[in-house]
Amino acid sequence: MPQPDTDRPIIVARNIDKRFGAFHALRNVSASFSEGQVTAIVGPSGSGKSTFLRTLNRLEKHDSGSIVIDGIELNDDLKHLDTIRREVGMVFQSFNLFSHLTILRNITLAPMRVRKMSRVDAEAKAQALLDRVGLKNQAHKYPVQLSGGQQQRVAIARALAMDPKVLLFDEPTSALDPEMVNEVLTVMRELAHTGITMLVVTHEMGFAKEVADRVIFFDEGAILEDTTPQAFFTNPDHERAQAFLAQVRHGF
Amino acid sequence: MNWISRHPGWTMVAAMLGLLAFLWGLAIPLSAAPAPIGPAAEQFAEGARITVWLTLIAGSAGIVLGVLGGMGKLSKFLPLKWLCDFYVWLIRGTPLLLQILFVWLVVPTILPESIQLSDFACAAIALSLNIGAYNTECVRAGILAVPHGQVEAARALGLSPLQTFMDVILPQSMRVALPALANNLASLVKDSSLAYAISVVELTMVGYRIQAESYQPIPVFLTIATIYLILTTAFTTLTSALEAQLQTGQKR
Repeated sequence: MPQPDTDRPIIVARNIDKRFGAFHALRNVSASFSEGQVTAIVGPSGSGKSTFLRTLNRLEKHDSGSIVIDGIELNDDLKHLDTIRREVGMVFQSFNLFSHLTILRNITLAPMRVRKMSRVDAEAKAQALLDRVGLKNQAHKYPVQLSGGQQQRVAIARALAMDPKVLLFDEPTSALDPEMVNEVLTVMRELAHTGITMLVVTHEMGFAKEVADRVIFFDEGAILEDTTPQAFFTNPDHERAQAFLAQVRHGF
Repeated sequence: MNWISRHPGWTMVAAMLGLLAFLWGLAIPLSAAPAPIGPAAEQFAEGARITVWLTLIAGSAGIVLGVLGGMGKLSKFLPLKWLCDFYVWLIRGTPLLLQILFVWLVVPTILPESIQLSDFACAAIALSLNIGAYNTECVRAGILAVPHGQVEAARALGLSPLQTFMDVILPQSMRVALPALANNLASLVKDSSLAYAISVVELTMVGYRIQAESYQPIPVFLTIATIYLILTTAFTTLTSALEAQLQTGQKR
């Protein structure tokens, strides 16, 4: 397993708090992530792991604390936000491909609009990315014509087309039929070896164990464990983590 | 109907050409008809052309007003939202005939002397404002029907709010709004007849005059009704073809 090249932190989150009305979603969460690191974020439903991920590109606004991404503070400044969103890609649980556009247009839209890339260059890049995720011949289909696993691989290609430094995955395999989970995990596994920083909220313990450099366990809005996969899966410190592992293992 | 959905492009072209040929050539078959229709053939054709012009102008302006109004009603900028709410409330709450008379009688007194509005222009303005208000609600419904995940995906890719609206939300909302917009357009073809009240010589006015001269209302009104039916058929064929075109990526 490759170790992160440097220890330069690309994401630094300090004392993040977030409430949805009376619900306290994140409690004083602090974590920093090094360039090239692959982190699996696990925990029970409603523990705040997705919310945390979504605060990192401001799909959710944090109430207090600070988030600095690649040296830029994430706040109400729209210029900062635009810069950060260009560097941080996201893959969603329900794919969220643009349903009215072909696969090719899904991938070329942001590079052409945001990076002002020419159509020819953007399409060449999109084709190369589709090839990389194993969907070479699907460019002119529409999202509904693809299976869930194929759609999620397109979503990964779409995020990669912006050359992000960080890729956030919000439960990328949770909406998939079991036989399609592997094709997506294979693509993610290959990505993990390319040196891109990945934060993966997941219920795939196998993936967390094999691919991640680091595992973070969320419970009730706080980080309870932050350690290596080996330590987490063999000997977690907290009882809640032990109970969680016993629960998910039950399914295997 | 099946043919339309399979060849939406050709259907649109055919409907447009059919409409143009009908408007140009209408006088020729009509002039062969016995009195009172034959001698007045050119008047019928001219009336039909005015009706179609009113429909096309008010229909196009109404789409623009509808999109602006629909966006405005969903705006977070409250004065804009209130303005759009007021517009829809006012137009939907008063009769179209009153609106036409208002534009004809009141607006010229407000405008400076140098600007003269023709009767036709007054009718076009009133009809545009009227259909625009109804379109506003259709567009708003369309925008609300776009899944939030689409917006999140666009924003996460770094698209600006305006780019997100133009590239993702608007095209998808039109797919939902179009059947209702087509309904409004079909109403507009017939509502344009109210322009007779301000002495615009459109189709209904032509019929009224000719039956008054000839004392033969039955053949005259049958002719008028037939022409309206042909016009509405052309317009609805056009909009269902457009609908089929926009359904791409939606069918399974």
